[in-house]
Amino acid sequence: MFHSLDQLLGSAYFALFALATLLCAGGVLLSKHPINAAVYLIGVMLSLSGIYVLLGSPFLGVIQVLVYAGAIMMLVVFVIMVLNQARDHRVPRFDGFSIVGAILPLAIAVMAVRTLAFTEASTIDPAKVRGEIGPIAYTMFDLTPAGPGYYLLFELIGVLLLIAVVAAVMLAKRHLDSPPVHEAAGEDGHAQH
Amino acid sequence: MFLFDWIQAHPYQTVGLILPIAIPLILFQVLPLLVLLERRGAAFIQDRVGPSRAYIPIPGTGLRIRAFGMLYNMTDLVKLLFKENFVPPFAFKSFYWLAPAIPVATGLLTPALLPWFAPIAYQDGSAIGVLPGTLITTSSGLLLLFALGSLSVYGVVLGSWSSNSKFSLLGGMRASAMMISYEVSMGLSVLGMLLIVGSFDLTQIVDWQGHHTWGMFVQPVGFLLFLVSMFAECNRNPFDVAEGESEIVGGFHTEYAGVKFMMFMTGEYLHVLVASALLATLYAGGYELLPFPMPMFVDTGVGTSEVVWQWLDTYWIKAHLGGVLAVMLGMTGLLLIGFAWLIAGRRANYARQKAQDRDLRMREYALYTGAFSVLGIGMILGAIMSGLFLHTEPISRAGALAAYSVPIYPGWVDAVTAVIQFHVVIGKTMLFAWLFIWVRWTLPRFRYDQIMGLGWKVMLNIALVNLLITAIVAKAIGGGR
Repeated sequence: MFHSLDQLLGSAYFALFALATLLCAGGVLLSKHPINAAVYLIGVMLSLSGIYVLLGSPFLGVIQVLVYAGAIMMLVVFVIMVLNQARDHRVPRFDGFSIVGAILPLAIAVMAVRTLAFTEASTIDPAKVRGEIGPIAYTMFDLTPAGPGYYLLFELIGVLLLIAVVAAVMLAKRHLDSPPVHEAAGEDGHAQH
Repeated sequence: MFLFDWIQAHPYQTVGLILPIAIPLILFQVLPLLVLLERRGAAFIQDRVGPSRAYIPIPGTGLRIRAFGMLYNMTDLVKLLFKENFVPPFAFKSFYWLAPAIPVATGLLTPALLPWFAPIAYQDGSAIGVLPGTLITTSSGLLLLFALGSLSVYGVVLGSWSSNSKFSLLGGMRASAMMISYEVSMGLSVLGMLLIVGSFDLTQIVDWQGHHTWGMFVQPVGFLLFLVSMFAECNRNPFDVAEGESEIVGGFHTEYAGVKFMMFMTGEYLHVLVASALLATLYAGGYELLPFPMPMFVDTGVGTSEVVWQWLDTYWIKAHLGGVLAVMLGMTGLLLIGFAWLIAGRRANYARQKAQDRDLRMREYALYTGAFSVLGIGMILGAIMSGLFLHTEPISRAGALAAYSVPIYPGWVDAVTAVIQFHVVIGKTMLFAWLFIWVRWTLPRFRYDQIMGLGWKVMLNIALVNLLITAIVAKAIGGGR
């Protein structure tokens, strides 16, 4: 069944990570406390990054840890910490929204099973997978006119994120910097328009 | 029997299997040295005597071995192990128990990504095998290191939140906000070095430094920014907002006692160690010996010679192992003899005093002086022997292997070279660790708003400008792609 030790270990690790991902995802759904759900979500991110590495994309796996587990989930946990309400606030495990929420994952699961059942098993050739850092860079920043031009999309997304940051700063500035007197004057001025 | 045969047939592979266990164990041995360095350094800077009380009596001789305060680590360990393992009743139990393990785990994983010696090429049957100097070989080594570093913040966050105490929460929030902020300038400051080298692979970064110059001379601004960010990432003074006796008691570990507190402390010192090793690897040449090439006289004929500027890289070390070993052993021997001379001076001081335990201490100091003198003289003798009699020749190869451009040396040469390079890395690491300690006991701590202002308004902007200038210069000089 297994041709080499590498393959055996790869399958074993895949089973391990897949199981961990599923268990943690179940934990996210079933936990009553928001911080439990957040930590389970970190587990999902970490085991997903393990699966990415096994599939021949170490760069994607590392970015998964760095961005999702390290930065985004950090912010989520941080916000839960800051909201004092979260400490005693426990949501019921199932409510009316759960039924709506269950339909979409079930549909995706049916599609996945159907795809797996009706297509032939494929093997991954690590030499052809463009998951290393070099091939990704060459694909993304191919500046030749005949190239795919992904770098333009990359720059545009960067600009979009910058706009979001500036907008967030502006929104916060209006609340923080303006003293109450000016606020009242501003509202008056707004009313005149 | 099969196992022994396999080990004999595959010595390099066996070493490759042992290293993942050996290197964390060796680093755990460096950790108490770091704690000792902190204690003695603090005492030295504050003009105190320092740790001098704990001792082991040797029965029959009347000797008391204090080992320069090293025994305080042991007494600390015993104290913390036997303290009551108290868990506050109001704590959020699962994360309260999980949190202290996170910094230790990430601190033990990150050394696996640092190159501790140059990759070793060896003859594996009819092929060439390579034993890498890192435990995990990946093209995105530095990124993975930063990823693991960003995970270590969870130890502070979860620990402070689950303690369910206001002081803990305040400390944890201050610390985590600071660590997230300084991760930005840390990543941006190191990008300049990556642009110049053109790789995320730490082995390649060190190799580049071995043939050009050290990173701190190429990227002085980036080096300073990275150093300051590392101070913040390690929660060290002047960035130690996580704790503060005058404001928030113990900060995030207020509610932790015994072994769990010890794990937080272990994590902190591990992070100092890893940060120093990372600074040494990225900006101080890692395992490379010198930041500049040495002039070598090469005979070009009868009575004429030419000066060649030679980089002292790994293959030069292997070809001139006797000389390199002589210099290293000689320097260590001189340091040991100097240390013995220092202790002899202390002993002479004691001889003039009328302290109660004068004879005891004088006997102890005599023992140290003798031991270190013998060790130092032995080292210098070894240096002379190796300089005179140690000569290395590469293995001659035939057939397909002869086409391989890199010379291959016998196993013992590889082993000695790897040990020398490991010591070079650890030596540079300890120098940076001393910088951490020096700053901690010299500078006052910053206020929280000053830290945030420095991080976002000063360092981020300098890092961006530095990156821009580096990119332009690198493109103009190197051409780039």
